[in-house]
Amino acid sequence: MFIEYTWLIPVIPLLCFLIVGFLGNKTPQGGGYIAITGAAIATVLAVLVSCEFWTSAAYSDVGYVTQQITWFTLPGGFTLHFGYYIDSLACLTMLFASFIAMLIFVYSLGYMHDEGVRKRRYFGEVSLFLTGMLGLAVSSNFLEMFIFWEIMGLCSYLLIGFWSFNHPDGDAASENAASAAKKAFLVTRLGDVCLMAGLFVLLFAFKTLDYADMFTEEALAAVDPNMIILGSLLIFGGVIGKSAQFPLLDWLPDAMAGPTTVSALIHAATMVKAGVYLTARCFPLFTQCSWILLWVAIIGGVTAFFAATMALNNMNIKKVLAYSTLSQLGYMFLALGAGGYMIALGLEQGNEALIVAGSAGYTAGLLHMVNHAFFKALLFLGSGSVIHSCGTEDMRKMGGLGKKMKITSITMLIGSLSISGFPFFAGFWSKDLIIESVMHASDFGEQTLFLILWFLAIVTAFMTAFYMFRMWFMTFQGVEGVNAHHTHGESPKSMVVPLCILSIFAAGLGFVILFGFDNLISIGENAAGNLQVGSGEGKGFEYITEIFGNVYTWMTIVLVLMAMGIAYLMYSKKTMNPGKFNKNGESRLYHALTMRWWFPQLYDQIAWKLGYGVARGVDFVDKNIIDGTVNGISNAVIGGGEILSKAQTGNVRSYTTVVFGGVVVFFCVILGIFWYMGGL
Amino acid sequence: MFDLPEIPYLLTLLVVLPLIGAIITLFMGNERAKYAKYTAATMSGITLILTFFLLLAKNLSVYSENYAWIESAGLKMSYILQIDGLSILMVFLTALLVFLVTIFSSHQEDKPNYFFALLLAMEVGLMGVYMSADYFLFYIMWEVTLIPMYFMISWFGGPRRHYAAIKFFIYTHVASLVMLIGIFAIAIQAAAGGVVDFSFAAVAIGASAFSSTFQIFVFGLLFFGFAVKMPIVPFHTWLPDAHTEAPTAGSVLLAAVMLKMGSYGIIRVCLEVLPDGAVWWQPAMVVIAIVAILYGAYACIAQKDLKKMVAFSSISHMGMVLLGIACLSEVGVEFAIFLMFAHGLITAVLFMTCGLAHDLFETREIPLLGGLAGKVPIYAAFMMFGFMASLGLPGLVGFWGEFGIIFAFYEYSFSINMIWLIIFCLMSLMLTAGYYLWAMQRSLFGKLTDKIETAHLRDINKSEAFALVIVCGLIALFGLWPDLALGYISDYTSSLVTLGVVI
Repeated sequence: MFIEYTWLIPVIPLLCFLIVGFLGNKTPQGGGYIAITGAAIATVLAVLVSCEFWTSAAYSDVGYVTQQITWFTLPGGFTLHFGYYIDSLACLTMLFASFIAMLIFVYSLGYMHDEGVRKRRYFGEVSLFLTGMLGLAVSSNFLEMFIFWEIMGLCSYLLIGFWSFNHPDGDAASENAASAAKKAFLVTRLGDVCLMAGLFVLLFAFKTLDYADMFTEEALAAVDPNMIILGSLLIFGGVIGKSAQFPLLDWLPDAMAGPTTVSALIHAATMVKAGVYLTARCFPLFTQCSWILLWVAIIGGVTAFFAATMALNNMNIKKVLAYSTLSQLGYMFLALGAGGYMIALGLEQGNEALIVAGSAGYTAGLLHMVNHAFFKALLFLGSGSVIHSCGTEDMRKMGGLGKKMKITSITMLIGSLSISGFPFFAGFWSKDLIIESVMHASDFGEQTLFLILWFLAIVTAFMTAFYMFRMWFMTFQGVEGVNAHHTHGESPKSMVVPLCILSIFAAGLGFVILFGFDNLISIGENAAGNLQVGSGEGKGFEYITEIFGNVYTWMTIVLVLMAMGIAYLMYSKKTMNPGKFNKNGESRLYHALTMRWWFPQLYDQIAWKLGYGVARGVDFVDKNIIDGTVNGISNAVIGGGEILSKAQTGNVRSYTTVVFGGVVVFFCVILGIFWYMGGL
Repeated sequence: MFDLPEIPYLLTLLVVLPLIGAIITLFMGNERAKYAKYTAATMSGITLILTFFLLLAKNLSVYSENYAWIESAGLKMSYILQIDGLSILMVFLTALLVFLVTIFSSHQEDKPNYFFALLLAMEVGLMGVYMSADYFLFYIMWEVTLIPMYFMISWFGGPRRHYAAIKFFIYTHVASLVMLIGIFAIAIQAAAGGVVDFSFAAVAIGASAFSSTFQIFVFGLLFFGFAVKMPIVPFHTWLPDAHTEAPTAGSVLLAAVMLKMGSYGIIRVCLEVLPDGAVWWQPAMVVIAIVAILYGAYACIAQKDLKKMVAFSSISHMGMVLLGIACLSEVGVEFAIFLMFAHGLITAVLFMTCGLAHDLFETREIPLLGGLAGKVPIYAAFMMFGFMASLGLPGLVGFWGEFGIIFAFYEYSFSINMIWLIIFCLMSLMLTAGYYLWAMQRSLFGKLTDKIETAHLRDINKSEAFALVIVCGLIALFGLWPDLALGYISDYTSSLVTLGVVI
């Protein structure tokens, strides 16, 4: 009943984009209300569609509903479709994306209040951004998905560069935003190009790109396994770019140059989540070969660790959050990789138990994606509220804001507890399941590797708790900083209400897994024997005994509490001097972290040498060798350099004569040939 | 769809109307000169409307005109106009862009009667090239396009216009000479001692008897002639100069329609008549195409002049078209034709906006610009749209061309067991994004420049916006619904398969 109208879910924000884009300044708030209405309708539709789907027979039978129209055909029997494909993953993604985007749009009313005519551009572009994410979620095939994927790339470029001219903070900030936007687009484009290559490989191998046709046992068995591996790796290349994983992780911290609401949108609801979505979507492909998933896990684990280190000493409130996003995304890939590894082995050996064990990792990854969406949106919007109020992003100039901004400080505390994995907050459940599934995977092969990853994961948990509370204490506790003196106080209602709503979810969302929700996002074989999201078995209340009966859980909890305590002593009570550990910022490690492990330099060097360096060479060859030869020949032939040099000085009559002389002689030659041929 | 009546002599009208327009406009001197633009707009507008009768026609083959022209003992040249899936999009593109460019340049102050007459004269030649089905007529029309463009550059161009104009003329003229030799060769060989008939149909019949050696040799001659026009590295150096010096209207027509004459010729003549030659030359074409794609893209990064950058990007994209053709597969040729059309629309936007830079800011040097998005937001939006379309953003028309061609190339490289070749194509996608974004960053964003006077900048005016909106609309339309264009093309490419030209 509602499922037939799934196509409206991305189309409504698209209409909002067009309306706001063309008429925005004629409507109140520069089209803000239109954008919010669009997101709200999309949310309601998403809820209706999901409810209908999860109660339908299609869900319990095959696990998906799809409908398509033919878009165009390629010679050689390739038909490309356009349509929707609804399964648990699509429902989950569109639910959190549309809901969180709606809250962010409401918040933007207050945050972007002073932007004037630029609000039209802002609300138009964020609506398009939402179109991209929702379209990606409901796409029925890879090509359609790719289009929405790229629309998001475009929107991130436009929004990160929102202040790339006429920046309120001056020219240097404009330059910075312009360069950050370019970097975001180019780095993700590198991934996108990989993804596109992956599509070619898959299209050529499968003769179709429709999920429903590709993800079946028969289709997968009929294709050369090497092509599946190549295609999967290339797709994962796209994921690395979009979700900012190692080694393409450096664009995301720079992307902080955009408005804070945009960061919230990119980090919580859209963009970087697309990569997690795609990995989860491609599980039937990835699980054809276990070592692909091993790589997913390795890249996830390494990113989680590296990104967390860079957050430890950063003074910019938004950058700390940016690194935490990278780190949490790393967790998601770690979970998907570890779970998928077990599933792949299970499929290989025909071992049902292994698939069920792997499904827990998959569930943990998706659950963390949703949890992260809520707490990261909360944290970014909270930091936006702080920045809005005291006009700086430097945490050293904040401090003691807790009294002046009560609601912001409490909601931020909830977000920090959630991301740190403090017991019973949303982040606790998913993070614990992730760490547990990595441990579990080590039982089935590659033991050392998974133990290393597990170690990285708990160290990251420790670091996360430390840098989040460092941020919270530096901002809200302690002595009032320079900018904390003259704040506007608490932010307006339009900003505070979304914070409160988000904090409810950030606190309590984890409990849903206990009540059968985990069923929906588990993975298993459906009735037809194909790997399908939502067809696995949930554990429900078993999780409680499983989590709390595990010694490693307690170990993690202790580590998190220790980290929080250290942060408290260092930045609130100030009895512990952080300078002791980093030699007052002189240590080499501290330097490495400040330099972001030299990633930006590496990128710049590559771009400069491979791009501009070669370009200069080509330009030289073009000007001097190729064009020089042409001019040389023409000079030699037409008359010792006189003609072209005359032409350069502009001696009009002589070269016109030459041209017409040339034409006349030429036609005479033709006539001569004709005459010779006996034609005339 | 719609039931439109058949118009008699439609194809001839498409050639003759602009010709009449050109003659009328030419004689509107002195005080009547300011009305020249209305004449030009009317005539090109009617021509454009007439092309819709072609686009919506159920059966294109009814539009065919055939009259004997020169007939003597040993020679037969005819006036044959025909239209098929290959030419119809080019004809539409020509009619559309001449009309829009006329509107776009409606503020032409300097000798407007000559200016618009030259535009219409160019339309005559272009229409003729794309519709003629007789090699001799084809050649004449090919030369006809040269002369108005030469005067366009040398009368209305920039400071180095004389140099650029004569270089353009001589370079492409030499190439057409070589092409002419090739044409004579195939016509004479096809006649096999009988009456030398230049019509496509007659040559096609005779072509089946061509020996491989002959095909390989003549393919080389013709390919050179067409490659200069496309242009293909290393025969491209006339293009950046011509573009930099030509007025905006000239650049648009040059890049959007004239360059396509080269790739049109390769498909129409080289592929259709000399399939064995094509197979022999295939590896060479692939290598040349890849070199052109990367060379053009790299050269773009180093350019400081906006228009020169776009000129080099045309070289890169036409290399992509050649790559599609070189795959010698149905997908490849189909999307090569699609990219020709797509690139025509996109470069129109690019050259309109980059040409406008000179009118608005009095310079096109990127280092002198900066932060202009705040001053001229509408201009910036169009420029960004054009750049995004050109870098192959999905949902816009350019993406499908590149997608199809790279897919075809993937198939080809798979068949010869060298999948890694595809990396070069993918690299070009990165480079393209790189130079466009970098150019935008330096010209539109960042600190507002203090190197030029920015206090009284005007934004785009209505007639310029009109032209840009229509092209941008079409870019989005064909991007969302590529089948609109692919429908015409696939009819043609499947006929190539029947001929055994492509697989």
